[in-house]
Amino acid sequence: MNGTALAIAALVMLTLVKATPLIYAALGGVLSERSGIVNIGLEGIMIAGAFASVVVSGATGNPVLGALAGVAAGALLAAVLAFVATRLAVDQIVAGTGLNIAALAGAGFGLVVVYGQPGASREVPALGATGSNVLIVLAFVAAAALQLALARTPWGLHVRACGEDPSAAESAGIDALRTRFWAVVAGGAIASLGGVYLSLAELDLYSDGMTAGRGFIALAAVIFGRWTPLGATGAALFFGFFAALQFTLQRAGVPSELLQALPYLAALVALAGFAGRVRAPAADGVPYVRS
Amino acid sequence: MRRAFGPVLAVDGVDLELLPGEIHALVGENGAGKSTLAAIAYGAIAPDEGSIAASGSVGLVHQHFKLIERLRVWENVLLNREPRRGWSIDVAAARERVRGLAARYGLEVDPDARVETLPIGIKQRVELLRELDREPTVLLLDEPTAALAPSEIASFFATVTDLAKRGTAILVVTHKLAEVIAYSQRVTVMRHGRVVARSLTAETDAGAIARAMVGGELPALASRLETQPRALLEVRGLSARSGTSVLRDATFDVRAGEIVGVAGIEGNGQTALADALAAIVPFSGELRFDGALLRADDTPADRLARGIRVIPQDRRHEALVLDWTVRDNVALGRQRTLPLAKFGEAAREVIERFDVRPPNADAIAGMLSGGNQQKIVVGRMLADAPRLVVAYQPTRGIDIGAAALVQSRLIEARNAGAGVLLISFELDEIFACADRVLVIANGRFAGAFARAEIDRGRIGALMAGHTA
Amino acid sequence: MTALLRTRAARDVGVVLVAVFGVGSLAMALAHVSPLVGFGSLFDGAFGTPEEVAETLVQTTNLLFPALGIAIAFRAGLFNIGAEGQLMLGGFAAGWLGAQFPLPAYLAIPMVLIGGAIAGGAWGAIPGFLRAKLGANEVISTLMLNFVATLLTTYLVTGPLAQTGGGSQETGTLPKAAQIPDMMVDSRLTYAFVLALVLAAVLWWVLKRTVFGYELRAAGEAPEAARRAGIDLARTAFVAMTLSGAIAGIGGATIVAGVLHRFNTGLSPGYGFIAIAVALVGNLDPLWIVLASLGFGMLQSGGVAMQAEAGVPREVVSLVTGLVIVALAGRRAIANRRTT
Repeated sequence: MNGTALAIAALVMLTLVKATPLIYAALGGVLSERSGIVNIGLEGIMIAGAFASVVVSGATGNPVLGALAGVAAGALLAAVLAFVATRLAVDQIVAGTGLNIAALAGAGFGLVVVYGQPGASREVPALGATGSNVLIVLAFVAAAALQLALARTPWGLHVRACGEDPSAAESAGIDALRTRFWAVVAGGAIASLGGVYLSLAELDLYSDGMTAGRGFIALAAVIFGRWTPLGATGAALFFGFFAALQFTLQRAGVPSELLQALPYLAALVALAGFAGRVRAPAADGVPYVRS
Repeated sequence: MRRAFGPVLAVDGVDLELLPGEIHALVGENGAGKSTLAAIAYGAIAPDEGSIAASGSVGLVHQHFKLIERLRVWENVLLNREPRRGWSIDVAAARERVRGLAARYGLEVDPDARVETLPIGIKQRVELLRELDREPTVLLLDEPTAALAPSEIASFFATVTDLAKRGTAILVVTHKLAEVIAYSQRVTVMRHGRVVARSLTAETDAGAIARAMVGGELPALASRLETQPRALLEVRGLSARSGTSVLRDATFDVRAGEIVGVAGIEGNGQTALADALAAIVPFSGELRFDGALLRADDTPADRLARGIRVIPQDRRHEALVLDWTVRDNVALGRQRTLPLAKFGEAAREVIERFDVRPPNADAIAGMLSGGNQQKIVVGRMLADAPRLVVAYQPTRGIDIGAAALVQSRLIEARNAGAGVLLISFELDEIFACADRVLVIANGRFAGAFARAEIDRGRIGALMAGHTA
Repeated sequence: MTALLRTRAARDVGVVLVAVFGVGSLAMALAHVSPLVGFGSLFDGAFGTPEEVAETLVQTTNLLFPALGIAIAFRAGLFNIGAEGQLMLGGFAAGWLGAQFPLPAYLAIPMVLIGGAIAGGAWGAIPGFLRAKLGANEVISTLMLNFVATLLTTYLVTGPLAQTGGGSQETGTLPKAAQIPDMMVDSRLTYAFVLALVLAAVLWWVLKRTVFGYELRAAGEAPEAARRAGIDLARTAFVAMTLSGAIAGIGGATIVAGVLHRFNTGLSPGYGFIAIAVALVGNLDPLWIVLASLGFGMLQSGGVAMQAEAGVPREVVSLVTGLVIVALAGRRAIANRRTT
């Protein structure tokens, strides 16, 4: 294989590695928002997934158990948001922001309590290259599965109905609050895999701030992808590409801070370009209160 | 049946019996409790006291459709009852089922169309089909003809009468007495949450029903004085679009000292007209006010500055800040010209002139009844002697007393020299107030009638889109 | 009394107390520290000595500026989650300008404060413009700009605008003339505290008694009604976001000119995020926000002592802060204006 082909292959692989956590988070965001709940707390859910998976993997020596624990932790955090958003009808953006702050601090606190040191955990058994590849493939499978489920199954139709008009959905006998609740929890479980990937597949530890705003970039991917699983996956690949570019361009002498800013700037530009041209689910972000 | 919402007793000790094969009309003015009663009968709201018994299932066609705009017709009709094939929905079977239903009841629809693309009359068919799919023994229809053209009304009631003949018990909640007389067999009148009259339709008439609804004689409106109409608003070839509402090539005048009524069925371009005049949306064509050309890129503030006031049709979302006091709401629209120190005085003036209850400038607007909220909105719009008032559904959803007061103040504004464009879906309101009546249908103006020439039949035909 | 207890405000206060004391105690127990000891060292650390009270007031000031900025944006219906970045830009501008241009105090101090306001304001204007002109969701844009702010200031302070050598992530030290005078000797408390209080009073007056405040509130609470009342929603959004950023920027400037006397990228332990909680607890009202800042300021300064003396990780404070935000998310319904 000649040099350019090798370089391109490496870039593609790196893009996939960088995009996979975004894909999981974006899928979680899509599912949540299609049901009508804006999940700003994706960042916190990824943190929970990343941290819990490391702790359990370290404690049991089994990274797969760790991954499952990460999923459970993400689902649990999502359940908190789902509860306050559906039963208490609070402002979803504010609640999600609070959840992010609490999750980051909780993980930081956990680092001291579990490992006796702030900043980073110890190295733990990780999923390795095989595990990483499995998770990458799984991300695409999940995207396809979610796309089909939303479009073709009764559950998918009910979720979409709740996201467009929960009052109309309820008049057809659907429990909008319960549907939304479980959509958010399921979305959280999927999103947390993004965090698990960061800590157990790409690396083998948890460090403070390792999610670095990916949960928010994922939200931009949801919008950019027009609230569809496949669209969001495409957008995540796009942002992942910019993250992968960092390494290539570094050698070209571009200042490292500008490179690190690329994914965020890409999300910003995408948002600016797409705003006003896409339509969110009609009831997205609007708390539903039974009268 | 008894049901309160906070301090308001919406339904107070009501008994109601529906017999199979009968069309039973439930009438009352806005706020009488009829929609609440229907919702209770359907099971959407639980009563505080009382019991319901039905010999089968109950269907409800809501006044404001419970349709999901972005979904398709079959998805709406069969929501939560979708035919399945394994894990997924059997879409072909779903389409077939909807076509079958449509044929059976004579309500043609395209199962694959997205509801948001359908005209209002067709949307109502979808809503009806959804209920009929459940083969209800009792069918409740809440203000079913609000959005239908007169000819569509006839065909709608043909369907309903046919359903009755098949044995369904039908309740029609309405305030349209002509339809009650023409199509129902039994009528119950509610006022302030109570049943005040019951009768076989054959044994009563519209006048008696109206008196029962109001509890006396209908309130009189302000009298129309002699005025000297002068040119004020000249509209030439006006076209505009606001959301799904489209206005095409409108040409008409409104003169100072007259009320021009725009009669039409909801969804025929009225919103585009009102929004273009308010500068919420741009327009093409020519708009001349007091001789000066209005610009398509004007802002709402520009129009306000000229003395043009547009009373929006949705007071809760387009006219009021519900969490604010009456005082702050009265200032809305005049916040740049009315000094802060005068807010209280302005509020007191509106409260007095419009009989706002409770007469408390510090009351929170969201807590007031619909009628009082509307009085605040209309009151502040008329407070500083506007030149042109565009009143879009100014008495929507308010009780007869408040409606009469609002209409009277509009007439008084006309007497004082303002030009009034009254856009309303209620023909009776237009006939009571207007000096001239224009008809709008499918976004175009279709006819003009002076007060003396008003002809219900012809106007109805024009509203339905039949050319003269 | 029972009627008072049943009010929404009382319920919210109760929830906040449960979050703080309940979750706090739980976390302390996990850290093998008795809640009595933990909270004891927290309060003692916040108010024990006059110096400690002064430090609490420093933290109060650092929170008060961004909280006021956030409240202005929230009242206009805009979710400004970017106060952290706006604060950072303001602090950088103050640090760089102050070190770069030595001037007498009566010019230097206004320069650093106004520089901070302009930088923070510009950082708020970007999402403001995107929202006003393009309808772009300001939640995501302000969040993205937080990350960009850190990267941008790091780049500037080590690269083209470097004032110190060796890759240090700091601007030069501010000359004495550019430093805000101390309010109490042997402490970090400066007259920036007074400035913050004055600003709170001014903003209260602006919101309640000016046309600008009236229109801003209308745009935030009933945008369609505001539009029809002649209020320019796009312009209001832009101005509110810019003003919000500017206030946060002044906050960053006071941290640099008052406390640290130089800019470095670590100047804020997340003030911009804690300030969200402060704004909510203060019900978006500038005067109540002063009190809320005091409460959270106490947690911040006491938290340091709590970690040093009782061994409770400082993250407990942020954890509790986050939960308070979740608990109060239902407090003041911010008019929902989904664009994308």
